[in-house]
Amino acid sequence: MLSAAICDPDGPEIIVCCGSGGVGKTTVSAAIGLVGALCGKKTIVLTIDPARRLADSLGLKGFNPDAQRVDLKNISGSSKPPEPELYAMMLDAKKTFDGLIFRYAPPEIRKNILNNRYYQHLSNNMAGSHEYMAMENLYEIYNEGRYDLIVLDTPPSRRALDFLESPQRLMNLLGHPFFIKLFKPYFQAGKWGVRLLNIFASPILRGVGRIVGRQALEDFAEFMKLWDDALFDGFGHRAAAVKKLLAGEKSLFMAVSTPQRLPMKEALYLYTRLSENKVPFGGFIINRVQLPDREGEKHGAEKKSGVDENFFREKARFDKPLMEKIIAAHRQMQKLAEKDAESVAELIQKTGGLVEILQIPSVDGEVSNVDDLKRISQYFSSRF
Amino acid sequence: MSGDSDLENAESLIEEARVEWQPDTDWLRSLFSRRVVFVLGKGGAGKTTATIALGMAAQRMNKRALMVETGDSDALGSLCLNQILSEIPQQISPFLWGARVDPKAELEAYIRAHVGSGFIARKIIRSRLFSYLIDATPGLKEVMSLGCIWRLEQEKNEQSESRFDLIIVDAPGTGHAMSLLRLPDQLIRMIRVGPVANQIRELQRLLKNPQKTCLVLVTLPEELPVNEAMEFYAVADDELEMPVAVTLMNCVYPSDFSEAESKTIDFFKENPDSSGRAFLDSALRLIRRRRIQQKYIDQIQAKTLGRMKEIPFYFTNDLTLKDIDALSRQLIPPSMNSF
Repeated sequence: MLSAAICDPDGPEIIVCCGSGGVGKTTVSAAIGLVGALCGKKTIVLTIDPARRLADSLGLKGFNPDAQRVDLKNISGSSKPPEPELYAMMLDAKKTFDGLIFRYAPPEIRKNILNNRYYQHLSNNMAGSHEYMAMENLYEIYNEGRYDLIVLDTPPSRRALDFLESPQRLMNLLGHPFFIKLFKPYFQAGKWGVRLLNIFASPILRGVGRIVGRQALEDFAEFMKLWDDALFDGFGHRAAAVKKLLAGEKSLFMAVSTPQRLPMKEALYLYTRLSENKVPFGGFIINRVQLPDREGEKHGAEKKSGVDENFFREKARFDKPLMEKIIAAHRQMQKLAEKDAESVAELIQKTGGLVEILQIPSVDGEVSNVDDLKRISQYFSSRF
Repeated sequence: MSGDSDLENAESLIEEARVEWQPDTDWLRSLFSRRVVFVLGKGGAGKTTATIALGMAAQRMNKRALMVETGDSDALGSLCLNQILSEIPQQISPFLWGARVDPKAELEAYIRAHVGSGFIARKIIRSRLFSYLIDATPGLKEVMSLGCIWRLEQEKNEQSESRFDLIIVDAPGTGHAMSLLRLPDQLIRMIRVGPVANQIRELQRLLKNPQKTCLVLVTLPEELPVNEAMEFYAVADDELEMPVAVTLMNCVYPSDFSEAESKTIDFFKENPDSSGRAFLDSALRLIRRRRIQQKYIDQIQAKTLGRMKEIPFYFTNDLTLKDIDALSRQLIPPSMNSF
């Protein structure tokens, strides 16, 4: 049971929610955070880009990068003191990177790095930089040790596992000795300041320069030099430490999906990769599942819906066109429920029934306050 | 005198009306007279579905259409041909092709063409620097993707006509797509002269020509996708100068019930003697969901001045090609096919 794992005093200290964009990761993360807080753990939810109403309900005002306390005074069932402690924090890629530069770079070269065009690109929108940022924040908050439980809502990446490999990938890319060796000899001697890359000394660089432009190459080379001198060791150690932390027993990964084909495929891929890497996996959370008509289910028989339909006709309380519309609506909803059930059954079959698969029924309203989150969290302890 | 000015007034009114008046489907049909259509939207909004639906519609109009997959996605290929598409266009049906942009292959071709010595070109392509540079150089992948689309647009057949009448690009998610479309402007500021600059100007002439290129935005009637759409309209108008021609609102629940009908259903639902409560429940859920969607639909309607088309929800989690075909016919009705 997920709720049991969340509340277990010896349970995970980090819960990571992964999955495709648009499946409700942020909502699920917030609901997990709420469960943690309500069973007495000081909990923080790290999130990327929450929906406005959800952000409001979590007390995230604007783009304040600091952790903000979520007001739980009015939530049902939490009247007894001490008041549960839930915090939420919005992540910002650029700020995270800048923070790292301030931490590791000697003061005299900080400005050079921050002004480097390549660095600006890297920190803002290079593939993987958001994932890296999420990992970095997670690591820092974990090490501060101020929270009992950290819930991470991962960035929506196409490949749901990118973020896990991103620190290493960034290291591979930036810290590759090959790069350093290639570019170093072409710097003209001189102190920090304007360095010109002597690209004409190498036919390869000359060719590449013709393609990407000399300026881009110079920016890149300068960044590599700064990186090598000032940041390589710091980032390197950190990337290794982040990976160790995430693959360790203090972490638990959840795959969040909806019953749609593509997010399900992603979730399954994530599960496979996590198992290969021996990363602790907590199970699947399938969000927005259309549940079948319970009355029909209670009676167990498949033809039940037919019987019910006739019974419904007999009553003739509605004029015919309306009745037909109601029956059509019911059929459509049942069709959706069947499709969703098929999709979940397929997942159960593919995972061999070995992992927990939680289903959150789709609601007709929008999630807009802490009580809505509480309603969602009740499904963390039931299977249907 | 006054008669004259009345006449002028009347004329200008007619003129205004003529400019504003467009038959219901004109703006939609005009998509198919373009050369390149970028289908954009948040991940999961239904870009691939829309791309295929537009491709099928183009096919019904006897236009040779090429659907292009971008980024790491393989959804288009797996739906249409049950395989990953290659950078060489593959025929799906007599009038429909599929391809995926491969920035690396594109860059290789480009290097071969622009680095004088074949020896050095080969050396560059084989060097590790090359594979790292593709990942690390700002915008390189994007510009190569655009270059690939440009090249496909330029392709000619044996009769030296354009090989494809229409190229429909299944673009990456909104954020990534924005940086993709912003790139030529950024590059042109960085590289002012030389062969690359000339090539980018050529690309700009294609992208910024509203007669040739347009944007289709796919969104969902939910909070985050609609907020993102609103932000995107602003960027498209002011920054990209590539306005959104059509917005497709995906997964719209039917609005079959009138206000009075929904009250009747509500009444019987509350009545303890009612039978078939599950039926009433289903109807009420539909009504409620549509109501929530409606405010987002209205928001987009107002913003796009009605240039929005709804794609109905199909009550499934896995659209098949057959579903998309039906959806495509509903989206672009057969009456428009004569054009």
